[in-house]
Amino acid sequence: MTAVQSRPRRHGMRATLLVLPAIIPVAIVVIGGIGTTVVQSLGLMPLVGTPALSVDAFESTDNLLGSALLSLGIAVVSTAIAAVVGFFTAVLIISGNWGGRIVGALSAAAVTVPHLVGAASVGLLLSDSGVLARILGIPPESWPALVAGPTWFAVIAEYAWKESAFVALIIVGTLATRITSYDETAAMLGASRGARLRLVLFPLAAPSLLVASAIAFAYTLGSYEVAWLLGKTYPEPLSVMALRLFNSASLTARPEAAAVAVITLLLTAAIVGVAMLGLRRMRAWQ
Amino acid sequence: MSAGTTSVSLDKPVVHPPRRMPGDHGSPLTQSRGVARVLRIVSTALIALWFALPFLPLVLWSFANQWMHPAAFPMEAGTDGLTAAIANGGGLAFLHSLLLSLVVAVIATPLGAMAARALSRGHVRFGKAITVLLFSPVLLPPFAAVLGLNVLLLRAWVPPAVGVVLVLVAVAIPYTTFSMRAAYAAYDDGFDDAARTLGASSRLTLWRIHLPLIAPALARSAFLAFLVGWSDYLITLVVGGGHMITLPLIIASSASGVGNESSVAVLSLSAVIPPLILLGFIARTRNLDPGKQR
Repeated sequence: MTAVQSRPRRHGMRATLLVLPAIIPVAIVVIGGIGTTVVQSLGLMPLVGTPALSVDAFESTDNLLGSALLSLGIAVVSTAIAAVVGFFTAVLIISGNWGGRIVGALSAAAVTVPHLVGAASVGLLLSDSGVLARILGIPPESWPALVAGPTWFAVIAEYAWKESAFVALIIVGTLATRITSYDETAAMLGASRGARLRLVLFPLAAPSLLVASAIAFAYTLGSYEVAWLLGKTYPEPLSVMALRLFNSASLTARPEAAAVAVITLLLTAAIVGVAMLGLRRMRAWQ
Repeated sequence: MSAGTTSVSLDKPVVHPPRRMPGDHGSPLTQSRGVARVLRIVSTALIALWFALPFLPLVLWSFANQWMHPAAFPMEAGTDGLTAAIANGGGLAFLHSLLLSLVVAVIATPLGAMAARALSRGHVRFGKAITVLLFSPVLLPPFAAVLGLNVLLLRAWVPPAVGVVLVLVAVAIPYTTFSMRAAYAAYDDGFDDAARTLGASSRLTLWRIHLPLIAPALARSAFLAFLVGWSDYLITLVVGGGHMITLPLIIASSASGVGNESSVAVLSLSAVIPPLILLGFIARTRNLDPGKQR
């Protein structure tokens, strides 16, 4: 190790060279992409005409607030379900019975399914002439409008399904071995099931539960294909609105699409910031 | 490889207790009895149903030639769905998806591994800022970046296929970097040092010592990067500009129409199976533990 310490400059150079190939594509996509989107939203990069700084795109976009609230609502409900189901799934997997192994295999399978495929199969499952309606023998007219209905049920169900598997995977991956030993210690000292769940398993899983939920929330807020395939056409979530404006023929629509994207970015940043604060508090408390 | 540390005779034989892995049987202490046991079985069944239910229509519809509404199960089994899926261009789209995902995995895995290696040893300047940057694509709404990038890439005359690969690699890098970082946190540099001390060149050490030891972690990272490419819809659609027809694009166009349930199911099933096969391989790889090789 003396050789390393006597050549810190060379070592730093080597480390930089190792990191650089990963930084370049990420920087192009994140900084370049977001930068261009922000510039477009402020009217500085119009398709035709002279660039001029303005916030017109934010003001002229119809029902931006409604779409933002809808997106937030879908993300909050589906992330909440995913966090609860994911936590209990992780507890089942960690407990290590044969049932836990089956649940573990099924949730791992769900993690690998593309969201679009998940949306397609949830559509086949829940539509008014879908597989569930057929198996339960309910005619289409008395089946509730789960797909493309006012409750956004199918969209929320798909996100909750996929993200609960993700949450479980993260909790199991980060804490499996530690949790088991603490759980056994608490059991030996006479803690009941409920007490162990509340006072041992939950506090230990809480930081990774929070991180996984924040990632799931950010994903849900920014995801497009599920809401596009299974949702109502109006009102539309932010991502669907942005893509519709982006593809529309109108020349003023591009800055508006970028404005919707900027709003989504700000919402995501706010949520991630809150989650990071929560994580810091959790670490300080432990 | 018969000479492991176990062949060195010590005064006292070191017995490793079997390591507990997630999924091992719970100890009697934490096992439930009576009402709690019933509750546990019921909740296990419900959660298993929750994860399994969305796979049901894919299996049922894939092999249904005829399934009129009131019937609870398909009336006539057959391969009409497969024929329709192939007629929709499913075969070529499958190959495109496979190629795209492999290219993304082949590029993103070494980049992530190299970055993780440097970051885990703590010699990188601005390490924290770089970590945040490399993780940021996970939290970023893809459409927000893609709307801007599309303009940027068009003005720079980047071919659509290259643009798609670039964006997908950037989205995959957080996954490869952070899974490799976890692997390097547990990696013992002593093996590399020992090989160098014994006279191996740095290249030989990399190929014969370092890479074999991190191979399972590399496989897991590559799987995650593969999934990023395999699952993507929006980036391929917008940045690819319709030049790249992958499996998700075909599924989306079939699923947004009416009346082609069995074709949608076959296409979806063909998008579900390859990752599951890879997952099966990944689940069988264990971290090499050179101290315990038999």
